[in-house]
Amino acid sequence: MTLKKPRSFELTIPSRLEEMQAVHKLIGQAVKEYKLSDELAHWMELTISESMINAIQHGNQSDPAKEATLKISSIGDAIEIIVEDQGCGFKLDTIADPTDTANLLKPSGRGILIIRSFMDEVDLSEREGGGCRLRMVKKIRGNSR
Amino acid sequence: MSMVLNARRLDDVVILDLSGRITMGEGTLVIRDHIQKLLNGGDRKFLLNLSDVDYIDSSGLGELVTSFTTVRNHDGQLKLLNLTKRVQDLLQITKLLTVFEVFNSEAEALKTMK
Repeated sequence: MTLKKPRSFELTIPSRLEEMQAVHKLIGQAVKEYKLSDELAHWMELTISESMINAIQHGNQSDPAKEATLKISSIGDAIEIIVEDQGCGFKLDTIADPTDTANLLKPSGRGILIIRSFMDEVDLSEREGGGCRLRMVKKIRGNSR
Repeated sequence: MSMVLNARRLDDVVILDLSGRITMGEGTLVIRDHIQKLLNGGDRKFLLNLSDVDYIDSSGLGELVTSFTTVRNHDGQLKLLNLTKRVQDLLQITKLLTVFEVFNSEAEALKTMK
């Protein structure tokens, strides 16, 4: 008997926030395929959405001629998520800490903190051909969140 | 599910019952516009009931912070009521629990706003 390998999911969208509906739909399909708990599914949706919004707004500067790509796949006991853009809006080590007293009342800057608090691995690298590649890994065995 | 906002008034406190998702775009603008109109009309005390909100993204959090600072700049008060576990966790992660006063009972919240 051979076990069926879980599907992988991929989506490329123009950099418009209206396209986020398709992103949420794809995440919904992925969490169903990977049979994630409601809690894991919630945080997965939130953090992947945050990373795609970052790619659209900061990476691609909301230029609809530029594309953002999302890939979700199962790697053993973990889910790997890759988000690529054609810009490069930030560096992980230079982002201001939104929990610092001086930044607490700022309206933005919390997306990466939320992503880091949930994901087990977060790496940002240059994408081949220009732009950025954000790779996130979430271990799903023995994790309720 | 997009966000729905219903306002009710108890004495001089406006209670905004929010439900659905507070996310980038329409949902956040609804809160901002509603509070701004109430401020323009003279209201200064706001209680945001989040019992039916279990999804807020970073833009939604930003909007709560902006509403808080806008109300405070008008010498008013904005407090939060009935956080779901997920929203509570999010406010904990972002340390916004140190900014907002949070209540699990409407009566208790109202007592502090007299």
